[in-house]
Amino acid sequence: MKQKLHLLFTTVVFALVILGCASEDPVPAQPFVAAFEKTSYKYSDIPDSQEMFVVFSETATANGTVTIGITSEEASYGVDFKTTPEAPSLTFTLPIIAGQDKTSFLFQNLIFPFDSDQKVVTFQILSIDYARETNIQGYTTSVVSFEESLGGVSEPHIGGPNQGNQIYVDLSSETTTEVFRESWDLGFYCGDDFRVGLNGSLYMAAKKLDATNIDAVTQASVSQYFNQVAIGTFDPANMDYVDDPTGAISGTAIDAISVNDADNHVYLVNLGYTVGTTTPVPGSVAIAGNPRGWKKIRVLRQGDQYILQYANLNSTSHQEVVIEKDAAYNFRFFSFNTNNTVSVEPMKDQWDLNFTVFTNEIAGSGSYGYSDFVLNNLKGGAKAYEVSTSFSSYADFSVANIDESLFQNDQRVIGADWRDVFSGTVYTNRFYVLKDPNGIYYKIRMLGFLNTDGVRGYPKFEYALLQ
Amino acid sequence: MSPDFFQKLFFSNPIDATKVLLISCLFMTGFATAQNDTLVKGGKLSEVIVTGQFNPQSVDKSVFQVKVISRADIDRQAGNNLADLLNQTLNISVMPNASTGKSGVQLFGLDAQYFKILVDNVPLINDEDLGSDTDLTQINLDDIQQIEIVEGAMGVEYGANAVSGIINIITKKKARHTWEITPFIQEETIGEEYNGVSEGRHIQSIRIAHNFSDKWTGNAMFTYNDFDGYHDGLQGRNHYLNDSLRGYRWLPKQQLHAKAFVGYNPNEKHRFFYRFEYFNELTHWYNPIVDPRYDAPTDTYDELAQDRDFETNRMVHLINASGTFSSGLTYDFYASYQQQERNARIYNYYFRRDTEEDLSDDVYESRKVYYSKATVSNFLDSEWIDFQLGYEVNTIRGYASMFAYEFIGEPIERNLGTYDFFGSTEMKFGKKFTVRPGVRGLFSSQFNTQVAVSLSGLYDVGNGYELRAIIGTCPRLPDYEELYSYFVDVNHNVQGNPDLKPEQGVSAFLHLNKVFKKEKGFELETKLSAWYIDVQDRIELIQTQFSPPTFRFANIDLYRTIGSSLTGSAKTGNWLLNAGVTYGGIAKVLNSSEIKNDDFLYSVNVNGNLSYTIPKWKTTFSAFGKYNGPQYQFVQQYDENQQVILVRGKLSDYTMIDATVRKTFAKDKLEVTLGARNLADVTTLNTTAVNGSAHTAAPSSQLLGYGRSYFLKILYRFNFG
Repeated sequence: MKQKLHLLFTTVVFALVILGCASEDPVPAQPFVAAFEKTSYKYSDIPDSQEMFVVFSETATANGTVTIGITSEEASYGVDFKTTPEAPSLTFTLPIIAGQDKTSFLFQNLIFPFDSDQKVVTFQILSIDYARETNIQGYTTSVVSFEESLGGVSEPHIGGPNQGNQIYVDLSSETTTEVFRESWDLGFYCGDDFRVGLNGSLYMAAKKLDATNIDAVTQASVSQYFNQVAIGTFDPANMDYVDDPTGAISGTAIDAISVNDADNHVYLVNLGYTVGTTTPVPGSVAIAGNPRGWKKIRVLRQGDQYILQYANLNSTSHQEVVIEKDAAYNFRFFSFNTNNTVSVEPMKDQWDLNFTVFTNEIAGSGSYGYSDFVLNNLKGGAKAYEVSTSFSSYADFSVANIDESLFQNDQRVIGADWRDVFSGTVYTNRFYVLKDPNGIYYKIRMLGFLNTDGVRGYPKFEYALLQ
Repeated sequence: MSPDFFQKLFFSNPIDATKVLLISCLFMTGFATAQNDTLVKGGKLSEVIVTGQFNPQSVDKSVFQVKVISRADIDRQAGNNLADLLNQTLNISVMPNASTGKSGVQLFGLDAQYFKILVDNVPLINDEDLGSDTDLTQINLDDIQQIEIVEGAMGVEYGANAVSGIINIITKKKARHTWEITPFIQEETIGEEYNGVSEGRHIQSIRIAHNFSDKWTGNAMFTYNDFDGYHDGLQGRNHYLNDSLRGYRWLPKQQLHAKAFVGYNPNEKHRFFYRFEYFNELTHWYNPIVDPRYDAPTDTYDELAQDRDFETNRMVHLINASGTFSSGLTYDFYASYQQQERNARIYNYYFRRDTEEDLSDDVYESRKVYYSKATVSNFLDSEWIDFQLGYEVNTIRGYASMFAYEFIGEPIERNLGTYDFFGSTEMKFGKKFTVRPGVRGLFSSQFNTQVAVSLSGLYDVGNGYELRAIIGTCPRLPDYEELYSYFVDVNHNVQGNPDLKPEQGVSAFLHLNKVFKKEKGFELETKLSAWYIDVQDRIELIQTQFSPPTFRFANIDLYRTIGSSLTGSAKTGNWLLNAGVTYGGIAKVLNSSEIKNDDFLYSVNVNGNLSYTIPKWKTTFSAFGKYNGPQYQFVQQYDENQQVILVRGKLSDYTMIDATVRKTFAKDKLEVTLGARNLADVTTLNTTAVNGSAHTAAPSSQLLGYGRSYFLKILYRFNFG
């Protein structure tokens, strides 16, 4: 009996030890890749020379080489262009050096001013010689031409967790325009309508008052509205005080400006919040700083011009400025800080996307402040729609897949639904098709919105020309 | 000293621990020789206790009803921390939190903020407070002599926050032999997961006690407890896909306990001791969110996850002097310095490179406490009346950063001083009737002066019947979150309230005990108890404005619980049986809520344990079971018209069953315990008793445990002299 008992103990111990020897799966290896940093360069931007980078998929741990081939149209090596290192045989080799994560070569333009805009020079990765498994993949070619951008990766500098900047992006020219959110307050529409928009990135709001005499309005007469004329009050009625988030110009908080002065009421304007200055915990944002206070405004028409009357609430007099339309732009912008018009948006056909803080709507709860928002330039004619990866993968989506009927009459197609703020990750089951104001099509996928420290306000996206 | 260091000290790697285990098992067969017919001692029915007493005395003389968990009880259950042990106790429910690894505890339905954990009569520090809000999984059982539990408000004896009761842990202070060296190892499966290396729980411990002379004694112990976490279908650390499968259901953690004790008893009249404790815990959180870090140019990934290591460090110094002056006056003096801090290391883990990159490593919550308490009693040297006077003072320096609470806008650093004075008198009217009134004044740097009063009585009815009544009051002090929360932005407004008053707890308990002693070793003790606890000015987060929504903490609600229990323990021959049943109701008056229902909601608890010893085999079989009946709570839901309605939510009933077999070998030197926990394999409970909140939906199930698990403990006693 004793022996049996001891045998039992021993057996159980052995069983416990052997039970479930499941070990975790190791991470599978990726090949070592060397690829071009950019898929295209604009010839006209290279009067002299351009350094072109070849990036590695990881910091090299050994030395190696990458071999690049050159093909060209309407351009010949040594006449129109050359490279460093030199490649008279139209191939050259770059070193992969241990400890480095990229290498580069120089493209030199030998003809300036240009004699033709038909020149195309294409570089291609031919082989990678490295100590372990390699593969030629990703951006395997890079083109120098006079055409629009073939695409690439962009990281709009919206300014980290305070998201102080609005970034206007033009995909075809690869240009971005950076504007501090607080630099403007009102936008005067330059299209056919006479409309005035608010700076929703500051969470501004405006309420129409009964008065038409701006000097008669006092703080005491309007302070009862302070709690309502704000965003994030969870009162659905507060949508009346903000611009239509779809971007429809007919939906501004301020009514259309009438030729008849008596129809143009005074508005109580909540100036929203300054750009936040605190540093939140990683993963959070600190968008709003201090309240910027209140103004009263009244806008009139004088022929094709706007007249803006504005004053602090308790002021018995007001200032007045005349603002002219400029048909090249969606809006002309005015700042109470500078008492003057300011430059904000690029010309209306020269931007496609705007990365900005935004006043959006939560159905049933009214206005709500959103960070990491992406607008398409609807007023300028840039339209977009979302594609599910269950329909097509980003890589496979081509110009033939574009469905014109799906383009939305809404500037919020990308909006905020591209990222999950709770997990800090981007939805990988969707991407976007955009038709720019000039009718050029791009596909766009969002890649991230945190930096490696987990800090918000670092959006990143990839786009590619559809042709 | 890190746990890693300690593990290296003991075993160069975890595989060695397994080897030791196996070798020990093989040795076991060799010990199967001489066996003496000594009885494994069962629970003694009359223990000496110290909690709430002027002087240590036997439990049946105490005016308070004190529940004792003896060392023998602890050994039979072989739990590896206080949470395991109390899981089987009536009126206590332990709800482990898988995501923090902490254990939430309720005593009479009130959470850990309402009762106090003391070690040798002195409240034990934790991250958030002194005594209250303690995480039971951070208290190990290896140096414990016994645990004394008093239910009901103990404000006079133990100060603020002892609303629903106190748990007093009494440590071992004596050694029977000149040298006692007691190492043990314990291996456990975590549910069905165990592989001896990276899955399971592995405990190594050693305790050394030594009598330097007949006046000086000392002991020291180290315990290293390595919990490898519970996957439950999750894929662990190396899972690099962003599909929510990364990490562990129960977080892996390592604990190190190191304790030392020196006692000096110069003569019969005076005793001194110094006790030191160090505790380190490292908990690993692996982020289920994996950032793929797709690199478009090379079409490759550099996945990273932002992981966190939470480290807790606790240090306790305690000096005690007690004794009797020649005048007969007895004294008991304590001075203690304790600190506990919790820090978080946030780092990026890069899967492809298997590297960690630190982002931050900061203390986010800490408490540092200077504490002293003293009592004097026996002023009159009278058999019929005795007084006790005492003070209890402490200053707590607390720190909490944004990381500690969801709604703290900036780090908080505060000093809180409490200066309490108390007195009580024990009067005997004849031999049968003892009355003990008491009062404590609580002066503090933050709150208005509070008063706690109590009145207890013991009446010896005769025929083995004893009747006890205890009425007491006790305040609960608001915590940092309630006082100092600040989270205000364009869409949110949640604010703490520095003007909060302490909550007021009142309780009344009635206990009727009857001891039956029959001839030939049969003993039966029964106890019938009834109670009422009431907490007024309960603090809740209330919405003070609808639009824009604004929240603030306020003293508004009321909490009541009533109940009764019947417990019994019987002992005959080699059998030992304990059983109890409790039936209690909880009512909440939520003045903070527009719609409310303050009906009492009742639930039932049944526990029992049975142990049987076969002297010839030196083997004890024990089984422990506790049935927790369904618990109800009113929760807010929306009806089909989107109107808020109150419904009775239910947390399912469940039964926890543990069983052990303990056998000793080689003249009781070698002790092997084989056991199983959670035999009913409870893992989750269905619940409809949770409100949804603005950002999260109400969960429909609650994690309770990692299922049925087995353990083996091997302990050896080297005793000399």
